[in-house]
Parts: sequence; structure tokens; C-alpha cells
Amino acid sequence: MRNTARAAIIAVIGGLLAAVVAACGSSSSGTSSATTANIPLKPGENPVGQTLYGKTKGGALTVYSSEDFEHLDPGESYFVQDYAIDYATQRPLFTYPPNSSNTLVPDLATAMPTTANGGITDGGKTVTVHIQPNVKFSAPVNRAVTSADVAYAIERGANPNVANPYFISYFGASAPTPLVGTTSAKYAGGPIPGIQTPNPTTIVFHLTKPGASFLIQALSMPISMPVPESFAGPLDKKAPTTYGTQDLVATGPYMLKSDSTGKFAGIGYQTGKSATLVRNPNWNASTYSQLYHPPAYLDNININIGGDASVIGQQVLKGTHSVQLDTPAQSVVKLAYQTYPSQITFTTGAGDHYVAVNNSAGPFKNANARKAFWAALDRNAIVKARGGPLVAQPMTHFIYPGLNGFQQSGGYPGPQVDYNKNPNGDMTVATKYMKAAGYSSGKYSGNATVQIVGANNGNDPAIIQIVNNALTGLGFKTHVSEVDQSVMYAKYCGVPKQEIDACPTVGWVRDFADPLTLLYVPFYGPSIVPTNNSNWGQVNDPQINAAMQQAALVNDPNQRAQAWANVDKMLVDQAVAAPEEFDNQPNIESKDVAGVNQLWDIGQWDFMFSSLK
Amino acid sequence: MSVGSELLVDSESTVDSIEVVGDDVTARSPTELFWRRFRADRVAMISAIFIIVLIIVAIAAPLVVKILGLPGPNVQDPNALDAFGSPTGPSGAHPFGVDTLGRDILSRVIYGARVSLLVGIVGTLIATLAGTVIGLLAGFYRGWTDTVAMRVVDVFLSFPVLVLGLGIGAACSVRGCLGGVITPGIVTVIFIIAILSFTYIARIVRGQVLSLREKEFVDASRALGASNRRIVFKEILPNLVAPLIVYSSLLIPTNILLEAALSFLGVGIQPPTASWGQMIADATPIFNTAWWYMVFPGAALLLTVLAFNLVGDGLLDALNPRGTRS
Repeated sequence: MRNTARAAIIAVIGGLLAAVVAACGSSSSGTSSATTANIPLKPGENPVGQTLYGKTKGGALTVYSSEDFEHLDPGESYFVQDYAIDYATQRPLFTYPPNSSNTLVPDLATAMPTTANGGITDGGKTVTVHIQPNVKFSAPVNRAVTSADVAYAIERGANPNVANPYFISYFGASAPTPLVGTTSAKYAGGPIPGIQTPNPTTIVFHLTKPGASFLIQALSMPISMPVPESFAGPLDKKAPTTYGTQDLVATGPYMLKSDSTGKFAGIGYQTGKSATLVRNPNWNASTYSQLYHPPAYLDNININIGGDASVIGQQVLKGTHSVQLDTPAQSVVKLAYQTYPSQITFTTGAGDHYVAVNNSAGPFKNANARKAFWAALDRNAIVKARGGPLVAQPMTHFIYPGLNGFQQSGGYPGPQVDYNKNPNGDMTVATKYMKAAGYSSGKYSGNATVQIVGANNGNDPAIIQIVNNALTGLGFKTHVSEVDQSVMYAKYCGVPKQEIDACPTVGWVRDFADPLTLLYVPFYGPSIVPTNNSNWGQVNDPQINAAMQQAALVNDPNQRAQAWANVDKMLVDQAVAAPEEFDNQPNIESKDVAGVNQLWDIGQWDFMFSSLK
Repeated sequence: MSVGSELLVDSESTVDSIEVVGDDVTARSPTELFWRRFRADRVAMISAIFIIVLIIVAIAAPLVVKILGLPGPNVQDPNALDAFGSPTGPSGAHPFGVDTLGRDILSRVIYGARVSLLVGIVGTLIATLAGTVIGLLAGFYRGWTDTVAMRVVDVFLSFPVLVLGLGIGAACSVRGCLGGVITPGIVTVIFIIAILSFTYIARIVRGQVLSLREKEFVDASRALGASNRRIVFKEILPNLVAPLIVYSSLLIPTNILLEAALSFLGVGIQPPTASWGQMIADATPIFNTAWWYMVFPGAALLLTVLAFNLVGDGLLDALNPRGTRS
């Protein structure tokens, strides 16, 4: 009896296994059919040329996002996900229309400053901006926006309680063309001498160097979205500020649902659960220039936060009135491309990923060792691991597609140096450079263990293993650690004293349409800081630093693109990092949604231009 | 005196069979009796054969993989992925399909057996050794030795092992802890398994020893002037062999599952080394589109654990037919 029972258990389990295998086996043929190297986009999958105006007004859009937002205060936001709310609820001085990746237009400003209209003077060291007079803050402020609100928004970026992550790099001491008064190490917030507001609709920026064109582009970032000091000032005295975590006012077409005091926490936003955007009753559609006027078709935007990406992706594809805000799961992209081609778009120029290798210590201090690693790395395997050619292309240099300077620095093939030629990885070339690095056998013969720290989410673990494979192939002994992405940046890759040798899952997205934003922060030596460091490879080459300083001062667009392309070439010549892939961003929507992608950013949905069909 | 007969001959319980060979009744040793009973349990025998084959396959993994014409467990082949970067299913070249890096799953399942068996068996051996020593000392000497030993066991039993594992994984993954002594990996997994498992063995051994030390044969030995050492090693310890074998054999599958759980949580075996638990963890997000990635390592884990459990049951029946399990 006893043995019979056990035999029955075995039989049942065996049967179950066989059933699972048999049941699942019937679908396997469909999953392994496509093996082509490149996949053409189908009609509707390329968002370039998308319709912006004349669409259906009204209705509510449901937005799914497996990821939460980080900061809803425009002074703190530096995450693409946050930008979707920032740009729908606030107005920067300048912005990019969603269908343009490079053309800046006035938003809160009345016109683009030029030398001809008197907006750029003093040889490019002074920029004067006039702002729209009848833009109003939402309740409880309920008054017109003034230039002082813009000045305060920028100066609070240096307030330690706000700690804007890019203020110092684009406006402050580390900026290529800092604002007057910010270069002192003692400056920590408060009025900036280089910003003056002679009247309520005029703001004047004084730079220490002639960098007008760069400043104007930087003023498209959320830091230029006006913040009323009378309302936010008391909140900014708290550490950290509660502006953006408890209370917030809006200037854009939408606002986070709030009570009459401006409090939105628990009303229009619940951490990890939801965010609700409603129309801003104080928004006036006539307060825009001819160049840019968002239609704001939707009445409500209801954002559901959390959930498995592969599940919410299917909800969007098979459901109605919905989009996914963050990146869809690999399986969902495949499903959408094969079955719902009109409901997915792919935006090129959505960022890049590379292996940050330690240029200042360890085996990769040697440039030839870095070149060997570059040569050995199988970038096509990384493209496959990211989801194939629909979502990635092998990276060949550091200015990515869609940015000025991309073609000048080699386009997709990139510089024709031998270690860059074969994206499948070339061990012959790698061996040559290992020998040049002093390892006569062509393999690493030192005692060091290469510390690899990468993120453990999504397909990053697969990338880490591809990188590890290349390094072990070169003879390195490695120690691989997979941690949460935020931990990777905050505790390891962003902390130079940790001396991590390789960070295989770091990536960069431009801040605006200037190649400087790709190269300056991650590769400029003086930008290295003890914590929250974004120069992960601790690249500090005096010649490269000098070339960046010079390129930052070039104002002519073509000359500027060439100057930064030259910097890019220097970075490739020194192999300061090992490139992985240029990213394309997939975005999915329901069949009854006419979504519009922000092509200037990573292509996420623009709530001001998206509508229901 | 026959110590074995006390365990192996049961006058009260049912007798499975009475074998009469001619006119002679042959006396059988305890080992022979055990072997006869175990052999009669066909499920346990099949399970034991499965385990032996698995051990051989694990030891000879490189050879087996070569004979089967499979790539090595860490050979990445992006061409084995489809155009969307998704793993492809079972095929002639890859009978169990490939994973997200194009690595052959059959090859990794074979190599994964090494980790599971190594951790399961070595961890159990260490736990058994430690548990036996502590249980013996506690049960034999009683008094403060017993109190201290059992409170130590209670403390270890109170350890939230998975939480401890997660903590080690989070805190020690990059530079290690205690100067790099503790890092996620096979040694840590064996350590965690040992400190968890020895407690059960220690309690069982203590209970057995408390009973055995009061038996007549121990009294007789003591009356003859035997030292404590002799009593422990010559009188008591031999009587613990049978229960130790049974409980150890039942601990092995538990520990294999624990290793899989720790690897699933990222604390155990570190990639690229193949581990069934880690393969299952990696397969979880893509189960809908790559079922083979979870099913095959899952089946290997299930069958191995089942086999060890069934062998353990068989050993229990063969060594202790008086047991109440039915």
C-alpha cells in the first residue's frame, strides 16, 4: 500500500510534467521562427511624422507603469519617467515639440533669444528672455507667473534641500559656461548674481564665458519651470523640501489632482500606486507662441503604478484607452510587433549603454587593456540580449543617433579603428592589444580580480554575463555582483573610492539636443565627485578635458557639432569605455489611442499631444 | 547481545515474509536484513539507481556533455536566440532549448546537478557531523552541557535563514563581509545549510542518547569499568548509525531545495556557474514565452528531491521496520 502510494505520486508528477511539456510544446514553433539579423519597421511603427493637431478632444487615458516616479518637483526631476508629468504640468522657458528631436521653441518664453532680436548680447555672455505675461499658477497661488519665479526655480536648484542633480554641471561651478556668481565653492543656493529680473516679464542671464546657445538649450530642462517663492520658499527650508512631495502648483495644461491648498500627496499621487492628472483650470491655451501650442486633448490621465511589465503590456495591447509609460517587456515588444504592429512605436536615438571601465586604477588604467576589452566585447550579443535590432543597434562611439555630431563622428559604423570594426567581438585584435598592454601571452597575467558591478533588473544580468564572458576570455579573473540599479549607482559605480573596475549596465540619455550633454558629465575629469558621480569610469584625460572646454564655447551649430565629434573621436582613441548599444525605445498603446511620442527625449508618450481616437 | 536485532527485528509488528530455505534457518546479519528489505522496495531502488546515475553524470559532466555533442554550460550563442532576442525552444541542436544568452539548457542542467549534489551532500555531511557531536555530548553528559548545547541549538533554530541569506546577499555581494570572508557563493550556501540543519540532527541524537545511556547494555559496560569514551564510541554511537543514515538521507533533499531557494534569491551560486535554483529564477519573468527554461531545471530539481526523499523513506523502512510510518 505504501509503495503503491509513492508509485502513484511519481506517476502523477511524471504525467503532469509530460502534460506541461506537451501543452507548451505546441507553441514553441512560433517562438523560434524569426532569426533574421534585421527586422524592418511596419507601417505606424515609426513615430516620425506623427500627427499633432486636429485630433479628438476629451476622454480619460489610463497609463500603466511598472516603475514609480522619483521626483515630481521639477527642481529635482532627472528621470525620464518624471519628465512625462513635469512637461504636462509645468512650462519651461523653452521646449522641443514632440515631433522634433533638435528644434527648440519658446514655451513660457515669448521668443527664442537671438543676436538679431537682442536676446543674445555681450558676445554670447548675456541672454535676455521675455516671458508670456498671462501664464497663471494653479491654486492656491492663482497669480501670473513672473520672471522672479523662474529665477527662484533656478536658484533653488543649488539649495541643498532641493539639490538639483544637474545645476552644478549646466549652471554652476562645473558648468562649461557658468552663471556669474555660481563658481565659488561656497555658493549653496540663494539669489544668483548672474540672474537678474528687471521687470516681471524679463529675465537676464549673465555668463562667465560666452555660452549663450548652450544656456538656452539648458533652459529647456525642468529647472527653468517657474516656482513661486511665496509658496515653495517655506517648503524649501525643510530638508528635504516638501515641494513636490506634498504640495505643488502647476503652470501647464494639467496638474496633479490637488486640494485647494495645493496639497497633492494622497490625492493626486500615492507612492507606488497611482498618479492622477486633471486639467489645470488656470491654464490659458493662448499663452503660447505660434511655434508651439499644446492642444491638451485629454481630460484626465490616470496613471497606475506597479505590476509586472509583461502583464501590464498585454493589458495595454489587448485593452482600450491605455498606454504603457515605461519600457515594455521584451516578450511584449515581440508580441506587439508580430500581432499588434499598429500599437507599437520605436523611437531611435533614445540613449545608449556602455561598460564604464575604471580609467584611474586597476588593469584598465592601461589604454591598451581597454582597447582589448572593447575589441573582445560581443556587441551583437548585447543587442540580442536587449531585445534585438528593433530596440538596439551596436554602439560604435559615444554620440548617439539623432544628435548633432553623430554623423561627423562616424555615424552607425563609427570610427574605423580595428578594435571597433567587429561588433561580434574579435579576439585576434583583442589579443594584439593585450600584448601591447604588456601581457606577452595575450592574456591577462596579473593578480588583480576585476570587480564587476551591474544592475539586477530586466535584461541587465544577461548583459553582465556577456561582459564577464569577454573579460574572462581575456584571462581576467572576475568577481561579478548584481545589485539593484539605484544601489549600483549610489553605492558602487557612482563612488570613485569603491574602485569598481567595470560597470556593465550604465547608460546615458541626452538632456537636450547638444552633444555636450552626452560627453561632458560622464567623461569630463573635473566633473568627478566623491558621491553621486556620473563620470563612472573616472575619465580624466587633460587633452580631452581641454578639448571639451573649447568645444563648449563654440556657438555655430555646424562647428559645434564638429567640435564635439572631435571630442568623441578622442574618447574612442582612448577607449575610455567599452560601448554596448545605441537604444531605440519601444512604446505601446491600445488600438483606440492616438499616442504621440516625445522624439526629443526617449520617445515616451507626450500627454499634451496624445488623444483617444 | 545484538544491538542490531533490537532495531531490525520486530516481534510485534507485521512480518513481511518468512523465507524458509530447505530445512536450515540461516542467520542473517543486520546488513543483510537491511539490504533484503531495501531491495524489496522497488520505488526506493529505482530512486537509488536514479541518484547513482545522477551522481555519475554530475561527476562526468564534461564527458557527458561532450558525448551528447552539446556546447559547454557557459558557451553563449546569440545566434541561438530569435530575432527579438528571445530564447528558442527544444531542437535537435539544443534538446532542452536555450536560455536568454543562447546557452544550452541541457548542458546547464547537467552541470547544475554538480552544484545541487555537492551542496546537498556536503552540507548534510557537515550538519550531521556537527549535530552528532553536539547531540552526543548533550545527551550523554546532560546537566549544564545539555542546557548550553540545547540553548545554542534553539538559537540557531530561531535563525530566519532565508532572511539571513538575503541579508548576506545584499550586504556582502560586492566586497564581501568580515574582510571578504563571507561572500555569496557555494561556501556560504554550505555554511548556511550546515548551521540550519545541524540543529535537527543534534536534537534527534540527543534524544536517542538520553534513551540509550539508560539501557542495560550501557550499564553493563559501565559496570565492567568502561570509560565514557569507550561507552560513547563503542556502545552508543553504533546504535545511532541507523537513525543518522535515515535522517541524513532525508536532509539531503531539503538542503538541495534550500540551495535552490538561496540561489533563486541571488545569495547562492553566482553566475555564470549553472545552478537549478538560479535557472528557475532567471526563467520566471519569461515563463510565458520560454517555458523550457523553467520546466527542465525545475523537473531536474523535482526528480532529484523526490528520489532522495524516496530513498530516505526506503532507508527508514529498511532500517527501522517498527516505525509508525505507513
